[in-house]
Amino acid sequence: MQTLLELAQGPLFRLTFAIMALGLLRILILDIWGAVEAYRKAGDKNIPWGQAFRKSLAWLFPVGKAFGSRPVYSLFSILFHIGLILVPLFLFAHVELWKSGIGLGWVTLPKDWADYLTLSTIIFGLALFIGRVAFRASSFLSRKQDIIWPLALIVPFITGYICANTGIAPAGYQFFMLIHILSAELIFALLPFTKIAHCVLMPLSQFVATLAWRFPPDTDEPVAISLNKKGVPV
Amino acid sequence: MNRVQAAKSILWVVVGFAAAVGITRMIYGLGATTNLNDATPWGLWIGFDVMAGVALAAGGFVITAIVYIMKREEFRPIVKPAVLTAFLGYIAVIISLLFDLGLPWNIWHMLIFWNPHSPLFEVGWCVMLYTTVLLLEFSPVPLEASSRYAKIRTFLLRFRFPLVMLGIMLSTLHQSSLGSLFLIMPYKSYPLWYSDILPILFFISAVALGLMMITLESLVTSHLYRRQVETELLSKLARASVWVLSIYVLTKLTEIVIAGESSLIFNGSWESILFIVEITIGVLAPIVIFSIPQFRRSQKWLWAGSVMVVFGMVFNRINVGGLTMMGITGDSYFPSWMEISISAGVVSAAVLVFFFAVERFHVWETPPRHPEAEPTSRPRFDRVSQVWLGAPSVAGRTKYSLAFLFSFAVAVAIVPGNEIQSKGAVTVPTMPARGGDTLFIDGNRDLYGVAFKHEMHISQNGQKQSCVLCHHMNIPMDKQSGCYRCHKSMYQESDAFGHQWHSSPRGGNIACVQCHEDGRERTAASAKKCDNCHRDLLPDGARIKHERNIAPSYVDAMHRLCVDCHKEKALTLEGKGDLARCARCHETVPPEYMSPGAPLLGNRPYFNRVMMPGAESLLKADD
Repeated sequence: MQTLLELAQGPLFRLTFAIMALGLLRILILDIWGAVEAYRKAGDKNIPWGQAFRKSLAWLFPVGKAFGSRPVYSLFSILFHIGLILVPLFLFAHVELWKSGIGLGWVTLPKDWADYLTLSTIIFGLALFIGRVAFRASSFLSRKQDIIWPLALIVPFITGYICANTGIAPAGYQFFMLIHILSAELIFALLPFTKIAHCVLMPLSQFVATLAWRFPPDTDEPVAISLNKKGVPV
Repeated sequence: MNRVQAAKSILWVVVGFAAAVGITRMIYGLGATTNLNDATPWGLWIGFDVMAGVALAAGGFVITAIVYIMKREEFRPIVKPAVLTAFLGYIAVIISLLFDLGLPWNIWHMLIFWNPHSPLFEVGWCVMLYTTVLLLEFSPVPLEASSRYAKIRTFLLRFRFPLVMLGIMLSTLHQSSLGSLFLIMPYKSYPLWYSDILPILFFISAVALGLMMITLESLVTSHLYRRQVETELLSKLARASVWVLSIYVLTKLTEIVIAGESSLIFNGSWESILFIVEITIGVLAPIVIFSIPQFRRSQKWLWAGSVMVVFGMVFNRINVGGLTMMGITGDSYFPSWMEISISAGVVSAAVLVFFFAVERFHVWETPPRHPEAEPTSRPRFDRVSQVWLGAPSVAGRTKYSLAFLFSFAVAVAIVPGNEIQSKGAVTVPTMPARGGDTLFIDGNRDLYGVAFKHEMHISQNGQKQSCVLCHHMNIPMDKQSGCYRCHKSMYQESDAFGHQWHSSPRGGNIACVQCHEDGRERTAASAKKCDNCHRDLLPDGARIKHERNIAPSYVDAMHRLCVDCHKEKALTLEGKGDLARCARCHETVPPEYMSPGAPLLGNRPYFNRVMMPGAESLLKADD
């Protein structure tokens, strides 16, 4: 167990963290690169930058947008994200680890706040999973990863909560810690290659959509001619 | 997957790995990441990357000389790739050097702080200037891409001839000066490789290696890009290399015979095997192969011959650069995996830039085209995700960045985390100076020291009162204590106080509060001064004042004490202007300290292993 823990805390952590950090940087660069190329190739360079920017902001803080068709689901999603982002970054124990590792520390969450946020993440994660599966329309739209991710993401939160509150399972500390670390590392490694990559791509999403497929004005006619479908209704 | 893509993927994997290791090297330093030490300060990075790298890049000046000076127009198709190879080679050398330098941010020092006596200074300047020349020689090629740069391009092309001349001149200088570097270590280099004409041998072999490197580069790229091999041209290069290699081997063997070292070739030692392998594979066999006209027109033999020369000459540079010194220094060095991966990474990065340049610019007569870039080609789908990855350029960057990412992460995982640290410097204990009226000062007993006229210093500085000028401490139960009593380590600081001893029951047996003020944190600041108890510790009138209980290294202490005073006296005393010069004190080892049993390096009168003028007679007198 001790060896496994050391492996998970040392080399495996460095491996997966490097994959995550560099992997996110990679897709960010590739995305921007693609967007720049799309702009270069765009026939119609009259691009509504301001509109795309406002749209990005609106989606970054989806207060107005989110409550369209499924207000409860949207609310749960927002609450889920709050704990999901805040707890791993600002948990006292995590910041202490960074301090001892690279010598940098930052503000931390009070213990009870961290606990409440952890619990809320677990609960809302489960709720999102149910929301995905139980409603016909959304389960029809869901891919495998859409269903698995809410569950996978709460594993480190559950085990982390158990480890932080040693009263729950005093004998199983090492076991839960191992699961906590390994599940988090699995998330790190998969993060840049799945939908979770939206954590860095989110601000760009509107620009990519805006920049793509900008044909020069009046392209439809020559296209129709070359497809030999002039005058045919679309 | 085609050959170029496969090659690029592998190279990106190597580069990714090396990037992580390179960052580790920069954070943790040489001691923690390499197997280098004081006995072997030049390892793989110098032997392979710098020494061999510069020689491998010699093709640039050789081909430009052939085309622009000798006007052999038929070689024009290989000028641009040769110049590009040379340019990238030099950039690779510089980057490797940055990894090898202990303080890489000081690399600009040679620009300002000139040391015209040093071959390394010359090499540094030449490499810097020649890299600039190569950049100017090559830049018309990328500038071709846009008409915006037409004026700059024409301007550069007008200076092509002077640039070529300058390039040849600079190459001649530093290719040979890399050999001159080793003239300073005649007793460290093995005789079969050491020679007074090492600079000349380096230059000739660089020409041969340059020719063969161009051949090999042309063969490799033809294979990867499925281009027609320029067999006719390459066979001409091979023929030329027969001449150059023959001149090289004749010069080298003649030198060995004249120096009376020929018996060393076949004495069966490790060095003799290295020598035979190097000469046979790198020189003799290629001469035989390329002397036969059918062979040099055959692709297979061109491959074999050029690989042999490149191997042999790189091996030669590694041999000269340190491999053959191990028998003499007694240090067995093998590069660490971090050194190897950084070397491989730098070379791979250079090759990737070469690929980029030939695909993007007009380096070859017909630039290569990716087969999938043709409009008629059918899309291929990624095996894992079953999606089309886009046009070749988009698919390329997607895949190669992934290769880089994963191998970088693997390297980060393998590099030991908190445990990584330098083995540190070896503590060399010091010993008292020996002698009577004249003291011989060599604290570590390596026989490189100073004959210090103790009696003369006393009489000239005012007899009894002069003691405190140097002896600035009377340690307990002692008077005018010897230097070695506190300056206990030759090259490192040492503790002159001994807190452990003072506090331990078997030593001083003093309670904490007897020294440290009660109620305050127990630090050096809250402690009593030493002379509170040891009244006689610091004699009055001492030149040296104490601020800390840490004694500087023996070497530093000696130099500060002597040199500071000598500098003063050199200004004030008449006719003693040279008092502060190194050789004034570091003259020779007095014969009485040179014993027949002294180690090989020790029993010769050198100052820092350079023979001092006039020392030969002393050595003879000793015999």
